[in-house]
Amino acid sequence: MAERGWMAVAPGRPTGVAIGAAVADLEISRAWLVDPSSGREGPGELVVSDGVLEAVSWLAGDEAAGIDDGGVIVAPGFIDLHAHLREPGNEDAETVASALAAAAHGGFTAVCAMPNTSPPADEPGVLSLVRAAAAASGSPVALLPYGTVSAGRAGEVLAAIGELADAGAVGFSDDGAPVRSGSLLRNALLYAGAIGLPIVDHPEDLEQTSGAEANEGLVATILGLRGWPGAGEVAAVARDLAIFADVLTDSPGARLHLTHLSTAAAVEQVRAAKRRGLPVTCDVTPHHVALTGEWLAGARRWAWQALDDSGRARDPWADGVLVAEPYDQSTRVNPPLRSADDAAACLAALVDGTADAVATDHAPHTVVDKAVEFGVAATGISGIETALGLLLAAVDAGRLTLGRAIGALTTGPASILGARLGRSAGLTEGAPADLVVFDRSDGWRVSADGLVSRGKNSPLIGQTLSGRVLLTLAGGRLAYEDPALADPYALPARHPWRHRLGAGRSPGDRRTDARRSNGDTPSPNNRRSASAMRSSRIARRLLGQLVPLARPGPAGGPSSTLRA
Amino acid sequence: MTGRRIMTADEIRRAVVRISHELVEKQAGTAGLALVGIQRRGVPLARRLADAVDEHEGVRLPVGALDITFYRDDLSLVAAQPVVKGTELPFDLNGATIVLVDDVLYTGRTIRAAMDALVDFGRPQAIRLAVLVDRGHRELPIRADHVGKNVPTSREEVVRVHLTEIDGEDDVEIERRVDAAVVEPIPEGIV
Amino acid sequence: MSLDVERPGVGDAPAAGDSTPAGGRPPAVDRPPAAGAWLHRHLLDVDALSWPDIDLVLRTTDAMREVLARPIAKVPALRGTNVTILFYEASTRTRVSFEVAARNLSADVSNIAVASSSVTKGESLVDTVKTVEALGARILVIRHAVSGAPYLAASVFTGHVLNGGDGWHAHPTQALLDLYTMRSRLAGDVAVTAPGAGRFLSGRKVVIVGDVLHSRVARSNIWTLTAAGADLWLCGPATLLRGFEAWARAGAGGVADRRFTVTSDLAAALRDADAVMALRIQQERMAGGMLPSLREYAARYGLTAERLGAAKPAAFVLHPGPMNEGVEIAPDVASGPRSVITDQVTNGVAVRMALLYLLAGSAGGEALGG
Repeated sequence: MAERGWMAVAPGRPTGVAIGAAVADLEISRAWLVDPSSGREGPGELVVSDGVLEAVSWLAGDEAAGIDDGGVIVAPGFIDLHAHLREPGNEDAETVASALAAAAHGGFTAVCAMPNTSPPADEPGVLSLVRAAAAASGSPVALLPYGTVSAGRAGEVLAAIGELADAGAVGFSDDGAPVRSGSLLRNALLYAGAIGLPIVDHPEDLEQTSGAEANEGLVATILGLRGWPGAGEVAAVARDLAIFADVLTDSPGARLHLTHLSTAAAVEQVRAAKRRGLPVTCDVTPHHVALTGEWLAGARRWAWQALDDSGRARDPWADGVLVAEPYDQSTRVNPPLRSADDAAACLAALVDGTADAVATDHAPHTVVDKAVEFGVAATGISGIETALGLLLAAVDAGRLTLGRAIGALTTGPASILGARLGRSAGLTEGAPADLVVFDRSDGWRVSADGLVSRGKNSPLIGQTLSGRVLLTLAGGRLAYEDPALADPYALPARHPWRHRLGAGRSPGDRRTDARRSNGDTPSPNNRRSASAMRSSRIARRLLGQLVPLARPGPAGGPSSTLRA
Repeated sequence: MTGRRIMTADEIRRAVVRISHELVEKQAGTAGLALVGIQRRGVPLARRLADAVDEHEGVRLPVGALDITFYRDDLSLVAAQPVVKGTELPFDLNGATIVLVDDVLYTGRTIRAAMDALVDFGRPQAIRLAVLVDRGHRELPIRADHVGKNVPTSREEVVRVHLTEIDGEDDVEIERRVDAAVVEPIPEGIV
Repeated sequence: MSLDVERPGVGDAPAAGDSTPAGGRPPAVDRPPAAGAWLHRHLLDVDALSWPDIDLVLRTTDAMREVLARPIAKVPALRGTNVTILFYEASTRTRVSFEVAARNLSADVSNIAVASSSVTKGESLVDTVKTVEALGARILVIRHAVSGAPYLAASVFTGHVLNGGDGWHAHPTQALLDLYTMRSRLAGDVAVTAPGAGRFLSGRKVVIVGDVLHSRVARSNIWTLTAAGADLWLCGPATLLRGFEAWARAGAGGVADRRFTVTSDLAAALRDADAVMALRIQQERMAGGMLPSLREYAARYGLTAERLGAAKPAAFVLHPGPMNEGVEIAPDVASGPRSVITDQVTNGVAVRMALLYLLAGSAGGEALGG
């Protein structure tokens, strides 16, 4: 049996690191590392010390034997370009604290918060409110706020874009709605472009989609739901691209990002525009890649399973795949779940880079808002915790490479946020540790209780997804820890892990501290020696323990240096 | 056939003839008499009785069919016996002496339901009951006026009446009910 | 929506002869349902009904028609059962039809006309259903303006839900009464389920004319008429047929021999038709930008005696009601010799009696609705 990454836990002791506390000491050995920013992927090990990613070592030859990408994987922390945190104004659905905790459970270490709160984030006061809530939550997950494009999201006049930028906005969006007026969009692109921030548009032609309930097509016809024509998105994308092209001549720094594209035709327009050299970017959601409108009729198969060999959507009634009740309100989302060929186009866009990123459009709702008749139910899927699982389903089916999936969650969003992300998007030595550890061989069953978000509106409840998140570190601090890690006896015997996770300072750091307080600044030489010490310690451990432990070692073994 | 035959075709024929005489005797003639067979096997029995009366009295008594499906007191039986066979009473019940005809008399609930149904159609002068087999275990105060054969049974036993018009042959058999774990098809005529 | 059958155990089934020991519901003993029994706990849509199910409904309807022909058109089958009729959409005829049907079965009836859905008035659908259940409802007949609402009701109601019409989606009792009416006119009382039989409308051309897009009657009839083998045509202005071409080509249930035809050519549709159903055109369609005017609709698609001349001589006309005489159907056609509209009303009561009876007696198993 192939050996997975290993981690040793001091027997009988919980790791004892509180959420939000700095991680003093983490070593992960023999895992599969994925680092899209350097383009590298493969067996490796890493060491976090005092919150900083001290060392990343890539294994080769005999050392790498037996480690593959089917087990424990370490990736840079994910970045979500599009999430609704609901605070202020709808705290029953979600608060900043619960959203950031949910994000960490999903492996995300940075979340961009959409401004369609109540009041909307159209001026700096609301922004500071949101950031204060993030700070008060104690979560180390970074909150990157958007400001609105228009005052009050009314679509008439510009919001306080400059002030919002100064207050820390990373972009502007009227999401929930498109920027209705073409001339306002033009002005917003110009104005924000001069400041160097993007406009994120939700492309929807409201005239065509008014009252719509489900994607225009066979399912909507048979279920008697008002159709949501694909042209409603395509026309809006065309408008946005045309305006953007015009604006660029005056303001080459302007940036347009189209969010949650869902139709093949819209994706094709972006592809053509990029080929022409237009610096437009776009994202797709995990649910538009993995689910289809069939789910409204009660199907529960992945989008790629609903496609026939010639690339056409299959008929779920003919295939007899309707296993759940129809009209499940958790499948109601804007844009709607589309046809299998649309989903395939979104996936293809991810593969060829037309879609720069995956963004979750995390949209939590209260039970009250969802447990009503389908046509009046609130739109949105609570998706930040299931994003990884959906992408891994595509990877498991051979439709997407692991590297591209991780890239779409890390380097892709980073390229759109640029400097405003405030950190690197890779496994970078010397930077504060920002990473996620997940086990691809271990699945988890999605349940209302198991979701950390207050929004339980997920169509995946009852499904099993692969890729259980074990550990999330954001900015060197612990953001999420799988409960099983604290109990060594709960660790599955099949993959002997070794990790040490400690807060507080280890002997080596105390020596460094002592020198620092004596006025000796740690020179690069000293730093290197510290990491060299770590590496040699790993080497000694490796040499001494070539046989993987099936159980944690005896008390007083190598883990005895752990400080909790 | 897995059971024990308790009436042969000849015995059935003789019982029908005897009952047909008893009917006329009790009524002191044929005037006002009408036969109503309870679905399902009561119907061919009622016809045979009418044929027999016709033979020895020369009078054709009116014959109707009554389906008591909608008068049962147990809704869960709808699933057990879903098919409704239909009611046909092509004569006026008011003032008539109705003889209900059924194959087996057991708890009496079918007859109670039949009487409920009849009074919805009109007001008969009298209602009598003729059955081919009376197997005892009455749960309601119901008595047959005319009985083909009295057969003491236990609750574990099943009485099956076969008639040519429906089953292709004439006989009555009794058998011990098979083990509870085996799912048997519910024979027609069970309420 | 699959036919999930949960069969009760055989237990202590009584012997042949008379009924079970205890009176009333539920029995002290369980019996397995007979083959061909009704096993659906709810009736939310016709698409999950098998052919034996449909035949059972038609035959039970025959029996109910006989009951309706009696001097006292009443049987005690549902005595003690509360049937609550919850209509969120204004409709007198269907609501009264259900009430008459329930009363004819001696059920206790609560008839509630709710002015609007949860979106404008206080109580949510879920809360209303729970309240109604607490008040004793065992069968809930629900009509709602939003497609899918009965499924929501069924998810919280422990009794039986009967869909009286939801949004554009389904109207199962209407489709079944239409099928019954057509059967009695075209196929006599043929027993439609000798095994392998069925498709008694095979070779018959049935045309539905009107606002198909917004019609739950049309959608449900597509399922039943194609199952019965009819050569089904849908006809109307192209704006009101939007999306049906794809379904027509795929066939109901994605089955090739359940395809149907969609056309805007009324003359072609009516030619040699055996049965024509007219659907109501509503004023709102003009506001929605789908039709220029009712006058234009009547001129191009109205069912007149003259147009019906192209149909077979014995062809008859149906309408689910209520009618806009002079728009989709000419007054002389509505009340003329070809019209079976009043039969539909009578058959409607009988079909609803049959369905209430079958639902009440369904094995109570975990059959998924629909």
